[in-house]
Amino acid sequence: MFLHNFKYSFLTLFRNKMLIFWTFAFPIILATFFMMAFSNIEKKEQLDIIDIAIVENEEFTNNKILNEAFKVLGDKNSKEQLFNIKYTKLEDAKKLLTDGEISGYLLVKKESTEVIVSTSGVNQTILKQVTDEIIQNQKIMEKIVENETVNGIYNIDYNKIYENAIKTINEAEVRLENVSNKNLSYTMIEFYSLIAMACLYGGILGLSSINEVQANMSNNGKRVQVSPVSKSKIILGSTLASYIAQLIGLAILFIYTVFVLKIDYGSNLLLIILLSLVGSLAGLSIGILVGSGFKTNENAKTGIILSYTMFCCFLSGMMGITMKYIIDKNIPIINKLNPASMIVDGFYSLYYYDTLDRYFFNVISLVIFACILILISIYSLRRQKYDSI
Amino acid sequence: MTVFNTFLKILNKNKFIIIMYTVILITFAGFNMKTSDNRLSFVSSKPDVLVINNDENIGLTKDLIEYINKNTNIIDIEDKKDNINDALFYREVNYIIYIPKNYRKDFLNGLNPKLKIKTTGDYQASLAEIILSRYIKLANIYLNINNNEDEIIKNINETLKSKTNISVTSKLDTNNLSKATYYYNFANYSILAGCVYVICLILSSFREEKIRKRTVISSTNMRKYNRCLMLSNSLLAIFLWLFYVLLSFIIVGNIMFSIHGLLYIINSFIFTICALSLAFLIGNIITNKNAINGIVNVVSLGSSFLCGAFVPIEYIPNSVLLIAHIFPSYWYIQNNEIIKTLEVVNIDTLKVIFINISVIIGFMMLFTIISNIISKRKTKTK
Amino acid sequence: MKNIIEVKNLTKKYKNTKAIDDLSFNVKEGEILGLLGPNGSGKSTTINCILSLLNFDSGIIEIFGKKMNTNAYDIKEKIGVVFQEVAVFNELTVYENIDYFCGLYIKDKIKRKEYIEDAIKLVGLEDFKKYYPKQLSGGLLRRLNIACGIAHKPKLIFLDEPTVAVDPQSRNNILDGIKKLASEGATIVYTTHYMEEVEILCNRVIILDRGKIIASGTNEELKLLTKIEEKVIVEINDLDEKYINDIKKQNNVDSVSYNDNNLVIYFKKGKNNIVSLIEYLKKENIIYNKIYSMVPTLNDVFLELTGKELRD
Repeated sequence: MFLHNFKYSFLTLFRNKMLIFWTFAFPIILATFFMMAFSNIEKKEQLDIIDIAIVENEEFTNNKILNEAFKVLGDKNSKEQLFNIKYTKLEDAKKLLTDGEISGYLLVKKESTEVIVSTSGVNQTILKQVTDEIIQNQKIMEKIVENETVNGIYNIDYNKIYENAIKTINEAEVRLENVSNKNLSYTMIEFYSLIAMACLYGGILGLSSINEVQANMSNNGKRVQVSPVSKSKIILGSTLASYIAQLIGLAILFIYTVFVLKIDYGSNLLLIILLSLVGSLAGLSIGILVGSGFKTNENAKTGIILSYTMFCCFLSGMMGITMKYIIDKNIPIINKLNPASMIVDGFYSLYYYDTLDRYFFNVISLVIFACILILISIYSLRRQKYDSI
Repeated sequence: MTVFNTFLKILNKNKFIIIMYTVILITFAGFNMKTSDNRLSFVSSKPDVLVINNDENIGLTKDLIEYINKNTNIIDIEDKKDNINDALFYREVNYIIYIPKNYRKDFLNGLNPKLKIKTTGDYQASLAEIILSRYIKLANIYLNINNNEDEIIKNINETLKSKTNISVTSKLDTNNLSKATYYYNFANYSILAGCVYVICLILSSFREEKIRKRTVISSTNMRKYNRCLMLSNSLLAIFLWLFYVLLSFIIVGNIMFSIHGLLYIINSFIFTICALSLAFLIGNIITNKNAINGIVNVVSLGSSFLCGAFVPIEYIPNSVLLIAHIFPSYWYIQNNEIIKTLEVVNIDTLKVIFINISVIIGFMMLFTIISNIISKRKTKTK
Repeated sequence: MKNIIEVKNLTKKYKNTKAIDDLSFNVKEGEILGLLGPNGSGKSTTINCILSLLNFDSGIIEIFGKKMNTNAYDIKEKIGVVFQEVAVFNELTVYENIDYFCGLYIKDKIKRKEYIEDAIKLVGLEDFKKYYPKQLSGGLLRRLNIACGIAHKPKLIFLDEPTVAVDPQSRNNILDGIKKLASEGATIVYTTHYMEEVEILCNRVIILDRGKIIASGTNEELKLLTKIEEKVIVEINDLDEKYINDIKKQNNVDSVSYNDNNLVIYFKKGKNNIVSLIEYLKKENIIYNKIYSMVPTLNDVFLELTGKELRD
């Protein structure tokens, strides 16, 4: 009996094109869009080699320090290359700037060095900072020379001092140790929120199957209710069928995102599966609650789940990850009650953190969330006789 | 008139959808456009940096922090649980500097102690690193010359004073133009999702098999009927467009009153009309309301993501942009981006914009022709 | 004959209105009981109460001699229900739908298969086994609805207005099917507001109005309840009021009505009333087009008992 009902619930779900589109196809389509739009963002946000021009006039040629420094910074074979430099006449530099081919150009004058840019921006700031540094190095030279002279060495070998100064500048070592966490790709959040969306959309499956077996919700339910099968058996079978359908959809989404889109969910496969299971359970519980608690037609109920899911996903960063961060930081309680956010945060903690306490906090929150919703639903599901149909 | 009245009734039932997409537009437009002054002089970009100082805040350490403070945005984050790591991941800070205990002492003793840092690895972080490295380099150099702390600080600050002169050539109000571009790019989604969806729903109500049959056999002139339906929907689209334009005056502000603003408005108008023809096409092909919901979602999200309505267009891979050419949104957004950087407005510079607009009009005609063919076929065969 | 269903003093209230008011009746083995009444008279509510779908305020319901409740699976096993609304899965084919609902009763797969084939044959859907409900016309859908309810060969069948909005061909098919089920030994409770169906189909009729039984018995018994025995209809153009009053005063006439050029005269007794009427018309020189006599229908019974028509 259980199997019989299970089989047909399953069949019914899979033949419903609407359901399959929203729970199976839509997340996959969206994932593809995300991939297309986001795949380059982080690469582009890294510091690129900046196109600049230097006006090749007498002053520049004579300024040894500037000359040398930009030679190093513009060296195509060096790992340290920062600029792609074009040495041009002033008119050409101006034209390059208006055409937007360079971020700015350097014009060395007798009394000052000038950087000309078209707008403010990060590249422009870097150009300015670097030029500042080179000019400051000139200053340092003067200081060093001054210092040596003060030290009372009369036999001044300017060449030697000069060499020493350059050596001092070059040898000044900046010791920084990068202790950043390895996984810093924030676009992952988009994909995690997508998984969360798929989990919660799965609730529509639960909704649909629970609707079909309640006498006060659908005509089919009346028929089921007058049959000699206990209601709990039927509901369990239908619910399980929709849960498994949900998991199949999720598995397809995972396979697609992992193998086609190359999304990184961290390395702990078992924990990922656990999170997906409880995430789907949360979605299922929403479906059951809406299916048993609201008495409207099925389309309206589906609408409730779709918009609730979208709202939850919005809060958990699907339309811009800043949203999740702002809420986490300022009104954390909202995201502690938001199943989408719990799922996203669970994946995030697996991906970003080495410790698991935050992950398990999210998993347990999801289980509690699901249990509360299911308990509320059971209250109305337990009824077998109704005051009105 | 009957048609128009019915139209208004159906529209009234669907008003929630329009309100929803408008709210989304306002939320995101407002959310993503931080206000900043409009200055034509150079403004250094300042990366967001967090300094965690475990050393005494005196002498060299103090001066380093002051220097960082001057050249970056110092972000203050409570050092609690995962706060700091979260802030780095969500890019509230680009760069975190940990100053260890006894840093100053060790440094003055020539040990050149290590600074621990955390970085997001983007260009903001690179800039922060350039800024930080400079100071330490200078400190190291002056330490070699003279290890008196006060002297070192004095020398460093003196050196830092010498700067390049920088001048900005562009007379464009880049900041506000970016805002306007952002707004109109995002409007691509609102127009496609909201306007097209509602029009499709209205059309599908009118085109439902039984209702369609009833109107075909009624005494109403079919041509007149269709024209009235078309007019009502056009009115709706234009009304929505006007509403979004007005909204842009409120959200974006003064820049909308310039020639650039006018170009944004013209561009969005052409696009709205194109969206209208797309709505007619979809509404003609599909009458199942559930299917319309799915298709409009896929079309609007797809063209918004692929063409750069959500993500700045320079971040989108070239291969994707190549595909994006098949959407009218691509040409519309291209135009917005061109307007943003338009220095001089003359026939020459406007040529590109006109070409893009003609492409959008081309799409519009294509959609109209196809939907006419389909609509004719349907009236006859069924 | 023993009672299959016994309903005693059933009362069901919706807020302040009584949907069923102290209803008592029983259904005997092998009979086809018609529950007749206008829309909203409490037919469906009664059935839903009997089936333990609805809570009721008071009363006792026994089926097969046992008290009915939601967990009385041994009782439910022997019941088949065809609801007023079509209750099938749109995603399942005709065959699968029947299999699903039948499967809730019959676990043995081989037996089930046989039963499903029988049901399909009974309602005449042999050519549509692989069709989805959306592809079926209204009448065929109703037939599927019936097949889903009776495939498990129940001993007791409830049919709640199974022929609403059905084309004549499908209706005949459905009525034949029900007769066949009865001939195979099933007890049937049939609700409808089409009196013609009741007259063709049912052994016994209960007429409900506003949740109360206003009459019950066989067709003939019910008709005896009325004072009238004959109804004569005469088509006369523009009949003067004077004549109508004259006719009213005649022997045996119970009541007279004149609408749309149709004069309807109800006679209390006798069979030769039409002769005296014709004589009267001749005498008064009234020209008439058509004149015919009818035995009263259940509708007339209902009309007389409640003062309103069955079909509203």
